[in-house]
Amino acid sequence: MAAFASLGNQTADLIPSGKAHLRDTTQDATRALEAFLASVERKAFRIAQIALRHEADALDVVQDAMMQLSSRYASRPSQEWKPLFYRILENRVRDVQRRRSVRSRVMSYLPWRGEDEEDAVDPVALAVDQAPLPPAQLESDEAMAALEQAIAGLPTRQRQAFLLRNFEGMDVAETAAAMKCSAGSVKTHYFRALQALRAKLGEFRT
Amino acid sequence: MSGGDTEAGGSEFERRTRALLVQSADELPGAVRSRLTQARHAALATRSLRSPSVTRRWMPLGAAVAAVLALLIVYVPHGRSPLESPVPGAGLEDIELLTDTDAMPLNGDQDVDYDFYEWAAAEAAGAAGPAVGS
Repeated sequence: MAAFASLGNQTADLIPSGKAHLRDTTQDATRALEAFLASVERKAFRIAQIALRHEADALDVVQDAMMQLSSRYASRPSQEWKPLFYRILENRVRDVQRRRSVRSRVMSYLPWRGEDEEDAVDPVALAVDQAPLPPAQLESDEAMAALEQAIAGLPTRQRQAFLLRNFEGMDVAETAAAMKCSAGSVKTHYFRALQALRAKLGEFRT
Repeated sequence: MSGGDTEAGGSEFERRTRALLVQSADELPGAVRSRLTQARHAALATRSLRSPSVTRRWMPLGAAVAAVLALLIVYVPHGRSPLESPVPGAGLEDIELLTDTDAMPLNGDQDVDYDFYEWAAAEAAGAAGPAVGS
């Protein structure tokens, strides 16, 4: 919050003192945008992480989406921010997936391809944590891992509909705006996602 | 499509999955939370620095355009002035006519020699009289 306050002051300093109302408006808008980004960033990160299965890529994608919303769409009405933000996020996720796909196709043609440093498995990450987890935590982690894997296996549109509706809690109209499709399509994708997840997970307990 | 499944959070399954996902977002590692905060501040800084500088960048251009428009409005004549002659180049011809000393006088009535005309008329009448009488 302190960092935000300094940003607000930085903006305010650039506006002439005679334009106090402009300074107040700018500060209010920045504050509203700050609150919005803070409210969505964690869920947005998890949505990107589930889609990309990669923490650093997910962080980059969320940062890009925040930058783009802030620089291009901040002047839009605040109720439009959420669908816009998630549409940008999904576009970034697709960009990363496309790049990966092209890269892996190109690399598969190279017979001399050695072990890529980025693909190399980090032994530290694979090391088993010796500290025992509480049973509830263990069950929860296992359930989360199973759910994450099942969601990642869904077709793209079903995954989007499920995460935006169920996780982010957006209504049908907002989800349709974010996915750039009709409300009917959102309902269909969501229903099919639920069916697929139930088929994979059963009525699992948490 | 079952009615309960179409509304988010409607069924028990949906509530459980939602609870798990929300929990995973709430329990993100500190390093990730820190990166997200940095990303947010970077995004806000972009906006903060962008808005006034855009205004500043366009302000001189706007002022220059306004000045050019004002000059155009003031100095470019619109329509015909009431004193302007409808004949192109008529002003010069008028000046030549007025300064030409060989031309017929424009103020002819002042220079007409009425005595001459009266004498000529009398002469004509006199000449005709004796001719008829003789």
